Amino acid sequence: MIGTQDRLTETLSRVARDGAMRAGRGLSGLVGQEITIHIPDVRIGTRDDACSAVGGDESIVLGAYLGMSGGISGHVMLLFPERRALDCVDLMCGQAPGTTTEADELAESAIGELGNIVGSAFVNALADSANLPLHPSPPTIVHDMAIALVQTVYAEILSQGSDVVMIDTVFEDGSGNTAGLLILAPDPQCLSVLQEAAA
Amino acid sequence: MTAVATEVRRVSVGIGQLAVTKDPAEVLVAYGLGSCVGISAFDPATKVAGLVHILLPSSDGKQPTATEPARFADTGIDALVRRVTEAGALKSRLIVKLAGGASVLGAANAEKFKIGERNAEAVRERLRHHGLRIAKEDLGGTRGRTLELHQATGRTYVRTASATPIEL
Repeated sequence: MIGTQDRLTETLSRVARDGAMRAGRGLSGLVGQEITIHIPDVRIGTRDDACSAVGGDESIVLGAYLGMSGGISGHVMLLFPERRALDCVDLMCGQAPGTTTEADELAESAIGELGNIVGSAFVNALADSANLPLHPSPPTIVHDMAIALVQTVYAEILSQGSDVVMIDTVFEDGSGNTAGLLILAPDPQCLSVLQEAAA
Repeated sequence: MTAVATEVRRVSVGIGQLAVTKDPAEVLVAYGLGSCVGISAFDPATKVAGLVHILLPSSDGKQPTATEPARFADTGIDALVRRVTEAGALKSRLIVKLAGGASVLGAANAEKFKIGERNAEAVRERLRHHGLRIAKEDLGGTRGRTLELHQATGRTYVRTASATPIEL
């Protein structure tokens, strides 16, 4: 069984790298400048410190949640510390960083679009890897305590009676500051599909 | 009421965890309850305070683990009742308050899983089973919550990401 788990880990890591590359390309096209998404750490499983990447359990994050359906169902969630999310909005809108000071309607719409691009990139990477049609749902804006969001995804997977396989992808910008956290969590009953694809 | 000069110590009660205290310096806190439910119990006579942070509705007969003794509503509440009574609380005096059970991931997701709602229902059911009345509750909605119980006063407070704490 160890071999199977290792292969799954390897497949998911490949998916994460591929997804990050696609997401970077999508974002570069959107903002008209080169954006790369650096993935220092792909983690399988939920660790207690998942939220530390975005400032700790109680830190307020802004991001987007997408459901995934088709050959594999599951969750995709992109979270940024609130201030970093607003910086992303400025970048996307061609404004100086610091221009956007609150999560207003425009900011939420931009974050939704960001979630759409990045989330879809990872879903498409997974679809290609598993050779299955997958569809991301329209993004839902989330603006809440980090742990409340991560915990809810965790609960939904555990409620299906299995261990959690989550890919926590930590985004860093050029200066090495953590900018965000992407969680890709397939529903447990779909893991066998992924394992077959990985074999 | 004498002023308490001791420094307050916040004890984090994480997912699936349970804490009981008789120490006036301690505040038990369940941070960021999303679909999870926090259940506080306080006996005003003996000042025994307990807080539990459950993740899922039903253990389906599974035994609680040492690392997550209170993952499920049923076995988690059983453990809470057992621990506070062992510490000297009287079941009939317990003031029980609830917070959490929200749908933080939006309407479409909530419709599919209903974990928050199912958690809240399972908690109510288990409290009924123990003959415990719910004094106050702040359940459902779309916002994550932090629930804290102050042993010194028995007061509980709830706060969300966007609001200042309110007494429950």
